[in-house]
Amino acid sequence: MVTIMKKSNTEISFFLSLFVSILSVSSCAPDFDDFDQNSSGQSQVDFSKYIAVGNSLTAGFADGGLYLEGQQAAFPNIIAAQLKSVGGGEFMSPFFAEEQSNGSGYIRLKGFVNDLPVTENVTDKLAIRGMSPTQRPLYTKYTNEIQNLGVPGMRLDMAFVAGVGSVYGNSYFERLLTDDKTETETYFNFATTKGHTFFSFWLGNNDVLGYATNGAYHDPNDPTTALTEAGLFANLYTNFIEALTAGERKGVVATIPDVTVVPYFNTVTTARLEAGVSAATQGQFSKIYITTSNGVRMATDEDLFPLTFPADTLGKAVIFGNPATAGYGLIEQNPLHDKFVLDRDEVMEITTHIETLNNTIKSVAENKELALADAHDYLHLVKNGLTLSGIDISASYITGNVFSLDGIHLTPMGNAIMANLFIDAINLKYSTNIPRVDITKYRAVILP
Amino acid sequence: MSALYIQALTNNAMKRILFSILLAGPSLLFGQGSQVNTQGIKALGMSGAGSALFVDESSIFYNPGALSKMEGNAVSVGGSAVMYRSAFRETGSADTYHTKFQISPPFSLFTTFGPKESWWKAGLGVYTPFGGAVDWGTEWPGRYELNSLQLRAIYIQPTLSFKLTDQFSVGGGFVYNIGLVDLSRSLPVFFADGSPGQAQLSGTGTGMGFNLGAHYHLDNEVAISLSYRSKVVTKLKDGDAKFTVPTSVAASFPNTTFDAELPLPASFNLGISFPLSPKVDIAVDGTFIGYDVYKSLDFDYKDNTPVLQDTHQPKKYENAFSGKIGINYKTGDHLALRAGGGYVYTPVNGPYVSPETPDNNRIMGSAGFTYNISDKWDITGAYVFQRIQARTVTSATSGLRGAYKTNIHAPGLSLTYKW
Repeated sequence: MVTIMKKSNTEISFFLSLFVSILSVSSCAPDFDDFDQNSSGQSQVDFSKYIAVGNSLTAGFADGGLYLEGQQAAFPNIIAAQLKSVGGGEFMSPFFAEEQSNGSGYIRLKGFVNDLPVTENVTDKLAIRGMSPTQRPLYTKYTNEIQNLGVPGMRLDMAFVAGVGSVYGNSYFERLLTDDKTETETYFNFATTKGHTFFSFWLGNNDVLGYATNGAYHDPNDPTTALTEAGLFANLYTNFIEALTAGERKGVVATIPDVTVVPYFNTVTTARLEAGVSAATQGQFSKIYITTSNGVRMATDEDLFPLTFPADTLGKAVIFGNPATAGYGLIEQNPLHDKFVLDRDEVMEITTHIETLNNTIKSVAENKELALADAHDYLHLVKNGLTLSGIDISASYITGNVFSLDGIHLTPMGNAIMANLFIDAINLKYSTNIPRVDITKYRAVILP
Repeated sequence: MSALYIQALTNNAMKRILFSILLAGPSLLFGQGSQVNTQGIKALGMSGAGSALFVDESSIFYNPGALSKMEGNAVSVGGSAVMYRSAFRETGSADTYHTKFQISPPFSLFTTFGPKESWWKAGLGVYTPFGGAVDWGTEWPGRYELNSLQLRAIYIQPTLSFKLTDQFSVGGGFVYNIGLVDLSRSLPVFFADGSPGQAQLSGTGTGMGFNLGAHYHLDNEVAISLSYRSKVVTKLKDGDAKFTVPTSVAASFPNTTFDAELPLPASFNLGISFPLSPKVDIAVDGTFIGYDVYKSLDFDYKDNTPVLQDTHQPKKYENAFSGKIGINYKTGDHLALRAGGGYVYTPVNGPYVSPETPDNNRIMGSAGFTYNISDKWDITGAYVFQRIQARTVTSATSGLRGAYKTNIHAPGLSLTYKW
């Protein structure tokens, strides 16, 4: 009996030690040893100095303004953070200071009245240092070295024009230039002299968008409403990329999204306007009349109205020099001015033009062996609706999660999605291992 | 045209464009991922094999048919500490996220009644055949699918068993189930500080089913066990649904109640045991689990809004099989040592793998012992380790892409008193 007990005790202690060893060996949480990382090893791309060339989208413009939170969530800044693990360096941006964090000011959602969004202007903590001779705001200067070179409103055709950075030109570009440079520096020269090793380039949107948001009406007094002609676009685009790729430098370029994929043009629809008119006039009026290049006609569902459509002018007496009648926009004799509608022919014109410009972008990218982020195609997918990480993504105003309150620029979540589009493009082209970003870390539209 | 007109126009122009955020169905599931069979600590030591080998009070769970072959009576109380840790890495990302470390404690109580060496035996089992807790937190890529989930199903099973011959016995039990669930997930509506909203669903439900078994052994102690556990449909009624959302959309997310049905699958088990030597027994068990009962998960909210709609979420589970083998070594009168291993095929199709049960085929290994302290008292211990193999999936419902991997550790201990 004693021997049996003794034997048992030995076995028990052996067993207990086995237990303990199982516990200590395997108690750690599971991990992924080599998680589908590209096996080709170190990439040939030098990410040590990344610059981002572009317009408002690159700058992080959102909710109708440029402000610190939007700047911090700009897609190039998200990309730069992801580049750190593959040799990326510091990435400086012209951030507004904390005490001026609301920058140019922006709009936020104040609430819903009868299920309708009501916005209000944010007017505190602005970075406005004064007014230009043409009574436009000038912003607190930021003239340190930067790598996010995004300038809201920048167009390819204006990138080569000296004086755009003056107080008479683009205030966001003027902000980035020392006083001795504002009259002489071009954006092209500004962007190509930073000593970069890698670049992203997303210009061209405003060469179409300015024209489109003005109802495809080129205001002779406003060069930002011009449509950049395709031949000129191709020359300037090629020149810009030539300079950026000099010395075999690599980069990523992006296509121009279709104007019809943004909430700015697909929220206020003909049907909604008609329903509103019918309800407000007890059925006395039910149609919208528009001016097109082919004359006056009733609006159809192929005609697009901007998000900022001034509904309060409908039915008024004298608008835009037509003295004949009241009922602006509601009767054939007093149609809407051309600039308040993107009629179907104009939509066709713009869509075709964007395709032409995108073909230029694609062929330049191919010739120069650049990565291509096809924002045009991707935003068409978004327009049809996607579910990413449990979030419904679409081109719907506010609820689509991608577009901010201005209906054109991206939310932080939209920027994260865009960053992944760029990262995927770069990884595909150069066999690099830039990690993608978790889009659920970023907010969409803030609700009160 | 007045200001009133303008207001009316604007209203109509933009009405009904807002909030098509559909609250995708939270996927509640007493599924395989949460199924760790720790009811009997002896069987746990052999990775779940042993339904034919062990004829004792835990037969109430493993095979009610074997119960009447017990000579005397016994009561046993067991518990185990299931440590379930999953990892997730989103496709293309460098970041790995883990579920928080927590221990979920399944327990079991088995007791028998009846005359000694009789042709019948009665018993009562209270045990937790399904259940678990998983907490991914609010800062991971799947936060809009799940933050955390706690599940528990408690089965209460009165049982009767009869010997038809000395070698062949049958038995059956009635199962009454109490199910508890508590889950939370983030909602993509954002507060002023950029943080998302949250939905919390909790409730209890009940269900009924049965457990049948037959046990046959030869004189040379080769034994065969057949058992069937029916499905148990747990009906959750008037669970609480609470939403934390910005004030401006609070009306769209009313705090309300919900009903849901959770089918717990049926299983059919075949077990065989045979001696290799007077001291060593081998037990093999194969289990077929009728997971195809889990076709979809439907949620019925009491108060619906354009945002908060009843949901129908396809699950499309398939029937699954598990095989387990164990060895039992009687070192003497006082100590038995055992070890086992098993393989479990997942019932979950790739696109329907979800963070509450990031399932895949799994392997397990185990070790255990029983020590007879005295004629009256036994103590049994076991340790099982399961590895759910890594699986890269794109969720059919959320679009979340990534790889899951899970380790489960479960030490268990039970104490038996015999009379």
